[in-house]
Amino acid sequence: MSNLERRYLRLLRAYPAGYRRARGAEIVGTYLDLAVPGRRWPSPGDAGDLLRGGLRQRLRAAGAPDLMPGIRLAAVLAFLTATSLAAAWSVLELRPAPADFDVPTAGPFVSLGIGAWIAWLLAAVVHALSPGRWARRAVVLAVLLTLALVPAAALTGLPRPPLFVLLPQVGLGLVALGLPDRLPTPLRAVPLVAIGSAGLVAADLSPAIFGVSYYVPTAGQVLPAAAVALLAVVLLLGAGLALRADQRGGWAALILLTPVGLLALHPLAGAGDGLPDTYNPGWAALAATAVAVVLVGPTLLPLALAMRRRRARPTEHARCPTCDARRT
Amino acid sequence: MDTPLREPTFLILTALAGEPLHGYGLIGEVAALSDGRVTLRPGTLYGALDRLVDAGLVEVDREEVVDGRLRRYYRLSPAGDATLGAETERLRRNVEAATARLRARSRTARPLAPRTAGGLA
Repeated sequence: MSNLERRYLRLLRAYPAGYRRARGAEIVGTYLDLAVPGRRWPSPGDAGDLLRGGLRQRLRAAGAPDLMPGIRLAAVLAFLTATSLAAAWSVLELRPAPADFDVPTAGPFVSLGIGAWIAWLLAAVVHALSPGRWARRAVVLAVLLTLALVPAAALTGLPRPPLFVLLPQVGLGLVALGLPDRLPTPLRAVPLVAIGSAGLVAADLSPAIFGVSYYVPTAGQVLPAAAVALLAVVLLLGAGLALRADQRGGWAALILLTPVGLLALHPLAGAGDGLPDTYNPGWAALAATAVAVVLVGPTLLPLALAMRRRRARPTEHARCPTCDARRT
Repeated sequence: MDTPLREPTFLILTALAGEPLHGYGLIGEVAALSDGRVTLRPGTLYGALDRLVDAGLVEVDREEVVDGRLRRYYRLSPAGDATLGAETERLRRNVEAATARLRARSRTARPLAPRTAGGLA
């Protein structure tokens, strides 16, 4: 056995054991047929291909072949929400407090947040021009800049958006990393249209309501409204797709529950502190709710997968998935 | 299987419409059919073949061991033949409609008005 074959076999561990036994020799044989003479290591592209293939087969074995399409759908909706919010926050950033208000500002802007919001708006432009790898890179940059606002504000002493604004943005960004490689041209431009619409709506609001600061009532109303809109869209889409026996909407809803929970932090924390009517949860209630959402939300997906797996046929691994012959 | 077929799926079925092929042969045939635009990697190819077998469009023809390597040959099933035929007919009608419109457009397109010599000066 050559070193190359041994390395391909090692990468093949990404596949479920039963599938590997039934199809491993065929897959590795094809890779070796394609390899140029003298090659000793699988290319990064081959490694990625095997890892993706292995993940797909594991999802099939778990009875969740719709999960990958669900991740892509969730990513598109999360990106749409994140860029729309960035547009609204950009408008807010352009409305700092007048000098005699004695409210700290970051020069002509409300806070340092403008830097991150511009990165999100640029990500939407990149997505329209070149979806896939470049769009995902732009999202990574936007997420990093959003996270960097916290240390940057601490170092410079300048104001930044509150954590209850940054946290859902980062959550949406992480989900958006699953953006698909290909999208129909009209869909590519949807985030730009959403940005324009959100910007116009925000600009139409009075600076007294939407300006000066991210605090009351700005974020407390904008974020829950975004949560409701996102949840409604994914549930409606999911119901429509389910009518065609397409389960991806359910997976997308499950994935989006975490960012939706982070967007709805104020009402959730308000309900949690026993004083829902006051709608003014304290920092401790907000922090405890955020921790609960971040801990519980991401566990729902593996839980659902485990339940699907339990319901999947127990003999599935013992069959060749292509020729359906039983393995001995 | 959902229609319209995605391009790689259409090309795999087209490749198998000729004769039974193994994985390596299929990759080469798909590349040739698409003038090198679609290059399938084995992980992607076998994932697609699994779906096509599940959908009943492709069947395993035979297995061979060549130079110690397992080669499994695949062929188009009768259902795959019908699906490929229907998809080809759909694409043909689309191409015909587009061709007719483009021809009509080029016939009715007016030539550009000649510019006045010397312009407006």
